[in-house]
Amino acid sequence: MGLNAKTSERIAFAFLTLAALTVAGFVLFILYYIVSNGYNAISIEFLTEMPRKMMTEGGIYPAIVGTIYLIIGSMLVALPMGILAAIYLTEYAGQNRTTWAIEMAINNLAGTPSVVFGLFGLAMFVKYLGFGPSLLSASLTLGLLIIPVIIRSSEEALLAVPPEYREASLALGISKWQTIRHVVLPASIPGIVTGSILSIGRVAGETAPILLTGAAYFLPRLPDSVYSQFMALPYHLFVLATAGTNIAQTRPLQYGTALVLLMIVLAVNFVAVLVRRYYRQKLKI
Amino acid sequence: MTEAIQNVANPQIEVKDLNLWYGDKQALKNVSIQIPKNSVTAFIGPSGCGKSTFIRCLNRMNDLIKSCRIEGEVSIEGKDIYGPGVDVVDLRKQVGMVFQKPNPFPMSIYDNIAYGPRIHGVNKKDLEGVVEHALRSAALWDEISDRIRSPAFSLSGGQQQRLCIARTMAVKPEIILFDEPCSALDPISTAKIEELIMNLKKDYTIVIVTHNMQQAARISDHTAFFLMGELIEFGKTRQIFENPGEKSTEDYITGRFG
Repeated sequence: MGLNAKTSERIAFAFLTLAALTVAGFVLFILYYIVSNGYNAISIEFLTEMPRKMMTEGGIYPAIVGTIYLIIGSMLVALPMGILAAIYLTEYAGQNRTTWAIEMAINNLAGTPSVVFGLFGLAMFVKYLGFGPSLLSASLTLGLLIIPVIIRSSEEALLAVPPEYREASLALGISKWQTIRHVVLPASIPGIVTGSILSIGRVAGETAPILLTGAAYFLPRLPDSVYSQFMALPYHLFVLATAGTNIAQTRPLQYGTALVLLMIVLAVNFVAVLVRRYYRQKLKI
Repeated sequence: MTEAIQNVANPQIEVKDLNLWYGDKQALKNVSIQIPKNSVTAFIGPSGCGKSTFIRCLNRMNDLIKSCRIEGEVSIEGKDIYGPGVDVVDLRKQVGMVFQKPNPFPMSIYDNIAYGPRIHGVNKKDLEGVVEHALRSAALWDEISDRIRSPAFSLSGGQQQRLCIARTMAVKPEIILFDEPCSALDPISTAKIEELIMNLKKDYTIVIVTHNMQQAARISDHTAFFLMGELIEFGKTRQIFENPGEKSTEDYITGRFG
């Protein structure tokens, strides 16, 4: 015996819908929970002032600025290197051992726990290269962390460019590199931007790597150079929620910090979506 | 028949004993042909006969296919294009190509045409003239002169193909290869392109691959018939269509197979 086609169709559909709704439900619940608890903590003072009284009062301004600097810094590291590597792998690399080794390395990097990146950053940037615990060390470490994501999504974006564009350009007596620069790369920008959106969320949220490379427990001023230590939202949240001076008293601040972190990631994503849409419009794909 | 193949007046392209393999599969077998200057030469034959593969040898587009291997000689104006020291980029400037499906870049009409000359170093103030000239030569200027800044994808399929022809002409090639340029177009657009091709032969040497025998008969001066990777017959178009020397040519053009 067996179910008839219509019944099995209905059951499959029900399960698929349920799975999708469950996922959406959890996301909405988390959003609701953080917004409803954090909403009251948000004020101009909270967003623009230094923390006071061992972080039990005042704002989270330096942590906001620190997180934004980290996003910018790690993107400056990861985007050029990731995109160039992706161009090499999709357009130039042959099917040989070197390519295979590079691909393997990227896959392994993608699967490496972030705390290991943190330790590497500590050994390499903080100690060996002597950058100290700093914005620079942390940005480099986070940059390395997201390079695999940027490479993978850039590769996909480059491969999605129709081969007809390449053919058309080459047939005009345009060299391969010029073709990549003027036709392939512009056409793949929407895809590359999408990939970097994903990694921005990652950079903003990572705690272990920056904890080891430059995030300060408490530092009520802004970093004044790339060699300065800094505060960052996820680490600040961790401190308030675990090692803070008074966990119960700072609870509203914790929710407020989480909400701000969420908002920054959403805001950056929103900008990235606008960039992507702008390029899509321009390309009329 | 063989004698007629050997003695084309004023040949610009000379191919001798060309063999080509994709991996183990031989796609061209001992092809020898001379293609005359400032004329239209059509290549006909059933699907998979090697006619597209053949014209892609003339601008070395087959180089892009990794498994492709070539033996024999292809000379353009006496120079072996597969010889050492040949710059493929320069070769493709000299030998332009228009593809089966219109493939404009995702840019404005203007930028599509300006793309090649701009990278080849034509300076900014001359660029507009180059673009206008190319669009006029492709009989497209009158239709679109008021909107050359709009996206190329806003044009109809036939207009897009003429845009691609204009784009090719803008880099001033001597030879233009057409790989079934009308197969994705409606009859009216096809007629426009055919008329254009016939006008272009005074300035360019035209080589066209076509599925459409009537098209070959209408626009070409010489016709070559390919079958299973071999050049079966080559001669004046009239002669090929009215008095073919080979049985298989006759069978193909009378529609007995293909």
